[in-house]
Amino acid sequence: MRAFVLTDSSLARHAGQFVWLAVDIDDAANSAFLVKFPVTGTPTLMVIDPRTETVALRYVGSASVPQLEQLFRDGADLVRGKQLSVADEALNRADRLQNANQTAEAIKACEEAISAAPKNWTRFGRAAETLIASLRHSRNYEGCASRAVELYPRVAGTASGAGVADRGLSCALRLADEQKSRADLTAALTKAVREEAENPKNGLIDGDRAALYLSLIGERRRARDEAGMRSLREELAALLEQRAAAAQTPAQRASYDFYRARVYRDLGQAEKSIPMLEQTERDFPTDYVPPLWLSRAYSAMHKYDEALAASDRALARVSGGARTMVLDLRSDLYTARGDKAMAAQTLRDAIAFSESLPPGQHDQPLIDSLKKKLEKM
Amino acid sequence: MKRLLILLLLTAIPAFAKEVVPFIDDDYAKALAQAKKKNVPIFVDAWAPW
Repeated sequence: MRAFVLTDSSLARHAGQFVWLAVDIDDAANSAFLVKFPVTGTPTLMVIDPRTETVALRYVGSASVPQLEQLFRDGADLVRGKQLSVADEALNRADRLQNANQTAEAIKACEEAISAAPKNWTRFGRAAETLIASLRHSRNYEGCASRAVELYPRVAGTASGAGVADRGLSCALRLADEQKSRADLTAALTKAVREEAENPKNGLIDGDRAALYLSLIGERRRARDEAGMRSLREELAALLEQRAAAAQTPAQRASYDFYRARVYRDLGQAEKSIPMLEQTERDFPTDYVPPLWLSRAYSAMHKYDEALAASDRALARVSGGARTMVLDLRSDLYTARGDKAMAAQTLRDAIAFSESLPPGQHDQPLIDSLKKKLEKM
Repeated sequence: MKRLLILLLLTAIPAFAKEVVPFIDDDYAKALAQAKKKNVPIFVDAWAPW
């Protein structure tokens, strides 16, 4: 999103509407901000009312340019307290309830908004996305998938439609095999995700389009269809190569690295990702991300010395919460190489580091999961 | 955290894109002071470099 959407020249006309703040959640200097405004995923986009220092609007996930412009309008209206329609008021209430983690009440408010939606309501897509995300968050997977099937025709062909179909499919895939509705819901939502993945006019950024392919691959995995998975991975690899070749800047090209590295690893062709990751490391020599992915690629190739050398470079550049993740992956490298003592020591280092992080970046569930992993070694 | 990690992985890009709006980096106090002075809301992009 930072490579393609926030660099889109059409956004320049909004420059005076807000004060713009970028917050790196890995930077320890931002821990006080993160205590005040918790972040559960990135990117998280927020509109903050400076008079009350409260979140007027929160959106988790990347957004296309039209989605972002809608968020600007919604956020500004919320802060201004503009006279609103019943549907607008209900969606704003849903946002507030979701911000307060009152998911059941947020779901009711979303349904009210959808029921009261005027014809051509510009916020319908976001209301549908918020409802499906809230149902999934509440673990009502059948309700999530069923409502996604019902709402999808009203948002098809848009970035919101892709979000509704994709989240709905993730819910359908969590249903048990014996659940009667599972097959029909999965089939309908797989078809919808496929439509959006192939629709060049829905405004999706390529990263989100690639994520749709990963969902389709997940559906084939659940069906134990190895040939289907391979076919989708090859299709995705071809798409990503084409888009990366057309990138205008190193940052844009690098934005495809993760998906290309992952798809080549899953195809058993990790060696294909080495040249592009090396190129990105040359382009951005202070960034820890390229050597981190290089270490994963070398690990998939069972070249553990090269993987550890890349991990060394990533460790030398990383700070904040991401350091825990780099250490955790490094521990996996030692395990794969058969060095249990170093694997355990590295995991202990990861736990100690994670426990030393300030409030806002201190992640107890992560620490607990690392301790469990250490116990099993 | 697993969900956060997955989200981070799926949005992975290095931290060097040139935005077209004037972002203040990692300084909430400065953003808050400017927003109060200009009487406009703050738009926040909370991101991670990987």
